[in-house]
Amino acid sequence: MGEEGTEGTVHLLCLAASSGVPLFCRSCRGGAPARQQLPFSVIGSLNGVHMFGQNLEVQLSSARTEDTTVVLLVGLEELTNIRNVERLKKELRASYRLIDSFLGDSELIGDLTQCVDCVVPPEGSLLQEALSGFAEAAGTAFGSLVVSGRVVAATESWWRLGTPEAVLLPWLVGSLPPQAARDYPVYLPHGSPTVPHRLLTLTLLPGLELCLLCGPRPSLSQLDPQLLDRWWQPVLDPLRACVPLGSRALPAGFPLHTDILGLLLLHLELKRCLFTVEPSGVQEPSPEHRRRLLRSFYTLVTATHFPPEPGSAEDKVEEVAQRTQVPRACYLVSGPEEPGMGWRLVAVQAGPRRLLLLLSAQSPTHALRGLATHTLQALSPLL
Amino acid sequence: MASPVSCGSRHSPDELPGDPSSQEDEDCDYEDRVSYSGSYSSESSDYDDVEPEWLDSVQKNGELFYLELSEGEEESLLPETPTVNHVRFSENEIIIEEDDYKEGKKYEPKLKRFTKILKSKSLLPKRHNKKSSNGSEPVSILKHQSNQKTGVVVQQRYKDVNIYVNPKKLTVTKAKEQLKLLEVLVGIIHQTKWSWKKSGKQGSGERLVVHGLLPGGSAMKSGQILIGDVLVAVNDVDVTSENIERVLSCIPGPMQVKLTFENAYAVKKETTQPRQKKAQSNTNDLVKLLWGEEVEGIQQNILNTPHIVMYLTLQLDSETSKEEQEILYHCPVSDASQKLKSVRGIFLTLCDMLENVTGTQVTSSSLLLNGKQIHVAYWKESDKLLLIGLPAEKVPLPQLRNMIEDVVQTLKFMYGSLDSAFCQVENVPRLDHFFNLFFQRALHPAKLHSGTSLSAQQYDASSAVLLDGLPGVRWLTLPREIKMELDTALSDLEAADFAELSEDYYDMRRLYTILGSSLFYKGYLICSHLPKDDLIDIAIYCRHYCLLPLAAKQRIGQLVIWREVFPQHHLQPSTDSNTEVFQEPEGRYFLLIVGLKHYMLCVLLESGGCASKAIGNPGPDCIYVDQVKTTLHQLGGIDCRISEQLTASPSPCLSCADWFLTGSHEKLDSLTTSPILSRLPGTSKVATSPTCRRILFGDYSLKACKPSPSRSSGGSDNGCESREGIGLSPHTTPDAIWKQRESQGSEASEESGALLKVTKKKVSLPNPFHLGNLKKNLSEKDLEIYNTMKLTSGPENTLFHYVALETVQGIFITPTYEEVAQLSGSIHPQLIKNFHQCCLSIRAIFQQTLVEEKKKALNRGDHSGSTNSVSSLNPVKEHGVLFECSPEKWTDQRKAPPVMAYWVVGRLFLHPKLQELYVCFHDSVTEIAVEMAFKLFFGLTV
Repeated sequence: MGEEGTEGTVHLLCLAASSGVPLFCRSCRGGAPARQQLPFSVIGSLNGVHMFGQNLEVQLSSARTEDTTVVLLVGLEELTNIRNVERLKKELRASYRLIDSFLGDSELIGDLTQCVDCVVPPEGSLLQEALSGFAEAAGTAFGSLVVSGRVVAATESWWRLGTPEAVLLPWLVGSLPPQAARDYPVYLPHGSPTVPHRLLTLTLLPGLELCLLCGPRPSLSQLDPQLLDRWWQPVLDPLRACVPLGSRALPAGFPLHTDILGLLLLHLELKRCLFTVEPSGVQEPSPEHRRRLLRSFYTLVTATHFPPEPGSAEDKVEEVAQRTQVPRACYLVSGPEEPGMGWRLVAVQAGPRRLLLLLSAQSPTHALRGLATHTLQALSPLL
Repeated sequence: MASPVSCGSRHSPDELPGDPSSQEDEDCDYEDRVSYSGSYSSESSDYDDVEPEWLDSVQKNGELFYLELSEGEEESLLPETPTVNHVRFSENEIIIEEDDYKEGKKYEPKLKRFTKILKSKSLLPKRHNKKSSNGSEPVSILKHQSNQKTGVVVQQRYKDVNIYVNPKKLTVTKAKEQLKLLEVLVGIIHQTKWSWKKSGKQGSGERLVVHGLLPGGSAMKSGQILIGDVLVAVNDVDVTSENIERVLSCIPGPMQVKLTFENAYAVKKETTQPRQKKAQSNTNDLVKLLWGEEVEGIQQNILNTPHIVMYLTLQLDSETSKEEQEILYHCPVSDASQKLKSVRGIFLTLCDMLENVTGTQVTSSSLLLNGKQIHVAYWKESDKLLLIGLPAEKVPLPQLRNMIEDVVQTLKFMYGSLDSAFCQVENVPRLDHFFNLFFQRALHPAKLHSGTSLSAQQYDASSAVLLDGLPGVRWLTLPREIKMELDTALSDLEAADFAELSEDYYDMRRLYTILGSSLFYKGYLICSHLPKDDLIDIAIYCRHYCLLPLAAKQRIGQLVIWREVFPQHHLQPSTDSNTEVFQEPEGRYFLLIVGLKHYMLCVLLESGGCASKAIGNPGPDCIYVDQVKTTLHQLGGIDCRISEQLTASPSPCLSCADWFLTGSHEKLDSLTTSPILSRLPGTSKVATSPTCRRILFGDYSLKACKPSPSRSSGGSDNGCESREGIGLSPHTTPDAIWKQRESQGSEASEESGALLKVTKKKVSLPNPFHLGNLKKNLSEKDLEIYNTMKLTSGPENTLFHYVALETVQGIFITPTYEEVAQLSGSIHPQLIKNFHQCCLSIRAIFQQTLVEEKKKALNRGDHSGSTNSVSSLNPVKEHGVLFECSPEKWTDQRKAPPVMAYWVVGRLFLHPKLQELYVCFHDSVTEIAVEMAFKLFFGLTV
């Protein structure tokens, strides 16, 4: 059960549906974790509503109040057979950081788009080669390079991971405190929900981590410095160039129109996305605001206009027959009446790619689509 | 002082010879009108004779909903059971005969109308008393007995009634001549055909319609037999008028007899809401009328769809723990809805809890019921909660939000408050009827217009999604001359200073002040002298009772609606404490709607204030009804001119989407034969079409620029009339009256003058699209060159559809049915449907912006709220979506289907006044042109 409450406070409440015992409750206010908790009576009523409905075979899915505050009651599948609630609670504590990073103002957007956040390195092929070679040498097919939660390069097999884990693994790596090396047990919700795998991470450069997903072998100690040196020393310069890419996503010097304040490029078939709000120099509004704008716009566009990608869980009830009218682009002009204020948002879809742009107000409305189409053409080789 | 008494005395004939001169005026005026009304409408014979036929339909509480179909309509509706059509007449006739008997009245052919009116006026209260006090009068039984029927949802077509008969007793009391056993034994009065209008088909096998019940008879005692029922069998023996006596004579002794009746309301056609007590049982004659004969199937279908309306109280009396005590009202009672009712606890809890947690009220929730998503909209007012739940596949959430708002507004308009609507027992059947209609409209919008052309039906169904939620009325722009005539006619009516309406006439305070009126033609608003809020209140009332589509199809022979209403705009206490400011009088308000053929005139009346106070539940006042009717008759002459406007309306030209779909090779051909060009009469070739358009525009601008004649004095009105050659009453009242009127300087005339100015402005309100045309016209020379060079864009009109909402005046313009019907095609209807759906979501975003703006206006200076993450897209002022479409069936395998791209753009203007514009156009238009159109619209309506 998730809920967005007063003045931007977000609560995430997890209950054992059968017993009504709260498993955990995380709150977040203004992007940072908060201590404020939901009162017990509210928790009780929420559970009561759910139980009551369940008995009558009615499932409440959401409720809205005036300032579009959203309450989502997602009937979670039961995690497992809960034998010991207290123990489960303790175990769940390990994932608090990950959960909190979802609630907070993340720089990533994979949680919303269900696409892997990526960056485009300047010399991608070199890195790709080094990564494949290293993974092979380490005895696993799953390897990736992650810079602040975004994938720089990954092996073929890594890309074939199912949707939840492909998004979650880099996200998890980004949310953990910096460490030189980790050996972390993970369940893969899609690929291996019951048998844990090992996630090995090695920090190559500050902020740049090498991730391997493997079975019982190799042990962390087997990945000795010599092996690392052999594969990564030659590409040290391209690696260095990747580190500042984190929030920029695109290589420096990539030609983008100066009006573009933010960009979200999705490849719906590959399930990868590029998301940046700092393509150009610092301007109003703040990066956080830009991120929020693009996130809201993405939500709006996906919920109302563009059809959800095939296979996605939320099948909109809207008539399928009406698909003869296919939406291709949309734009939105926001802000006060005075010219030069506010901002523009535009989305275009071409083939599997969808591009969302946040533009400054000086960009004329009639040129929005042209600009977006051109930008999409320019970006297409990258993703 | 009791009002009926005062009424009676006021209109008693003795008082009439008052001022001889005035009466003279009166008479001639009256004669004038009669003659002309006769010349105008042959169907309106009822108009002059005897008492109004709706009189008997008036309810105890004064309300009236009288709907008589046009003759053609009635016949087409029920050709197979003609007998039934006479039920209504038969009822009336019985009453009339009774009246004749009691009052010994004889009809004089030359009886002057006013005396009839006086008679009926004085009759009215009397009759009501009679009806309410004793149930012995045949007609009242019908209204009486049906009381017991509340709660029955689906009316059986047949019913069995067991009554006790005793033929032994009969022989004892046997009277002089040969009595009809049916009458004496059973107590049912049936009059054979010869006494009815259609005497031709008299004789064998006539259906036994119950025309009356004998006081004290077994039939009446049973309480289950209603007037209008048809007796079909006695103890399972089929009976007709021929064999009934024989069958009954076979009854040997005292015994129970089973009578089988065909229900009056299962077969009845016309709706009379006044019989609201049985609104439940005659499961919506109105529904049936509007949705046609398939209504049975639809209703079954509807019953299987989960939907509900509930009115719950949040204040629970813990001591009386009665089952379902928190439910003050709910509808419907069906299995599918039962589940929604049973989970009301969820709604109550959510409403309470979410308000505590978030500090704002819950507006809606979604739930899954048997795998179906259901949206439930909430409306909380003080400690009551109104809930409406509908399946998401039928009604998208933004639409549901608008719908619940409309329901609340309508109910408040009709009953004053939600509490008074829901908490009074006698309202229950009325509400059942109300919500039955509501759900019919929500779940089967397409069927509403059965009988019309398919395209109009489609158009209506697809546009209802958006248009029904707009705070405005569909407006038809008319040329200045016609508009002036309409304005004049309405102003004259509103001034109410002639004939029986003038205070001088009876030397009495008038009963009602006419606050304003608005005139609809075929469902389009063509003239309104009402403040915006009142207009919208009335419009949603009409929308709710589906009156506008009725008028559009000329299904109305005669419509008279009268009820007390509670226009919130007038009833809100003035916020300004300054006593200098105009204060609303503490009056009561009445709505009078009179419909004749395509016209419908809504009049808002005020009692109290300038007029005398209303006491009790006054019924419709004949004088007012007649005056409104007269006004409508008077407008009969320009009927065809308005109708012309509908087909060749000055609104922007539209294109059909299919014209743009042709493959690139055929484009040249398609252009020359393009319907867009050939549509214009007399233009066959490309070159001529621009000229034609220019004329269209030039014509308009000429009208707009013409100096408007001063309309402040009545004199010019007169001149106007004579110039037009429609010098028909009541405009042609002698100058003396005009002078009198001017010297009075009454508030009413001043007010109407002011209103006139407002409406005048409306006429000159330029349409953005004309200006779009202007731009085009300017570059028409270039376009002609374009014609030969580039065929896809430029010269062709790329506008597909539009909706422009003017919230200050409460009107919107959109292409007429006729215009849309001209653009047939396979893609186009889909495009229109998609356009409206898209606009609905665009509008939902705009509404968020408006809420935000309102909030901002409330706490100025406090900008902290603007960082709210949820609403960070606001304020949105423009939103556009580009769609691509291709033909549904594309058989050619070698070629990819042609693709046509079009924009749906919504634009919100906050300043200087609230306006919304939605347009749909082909992608080939340079978007800057649209921006220009926006700006022009913006700049010129100031």
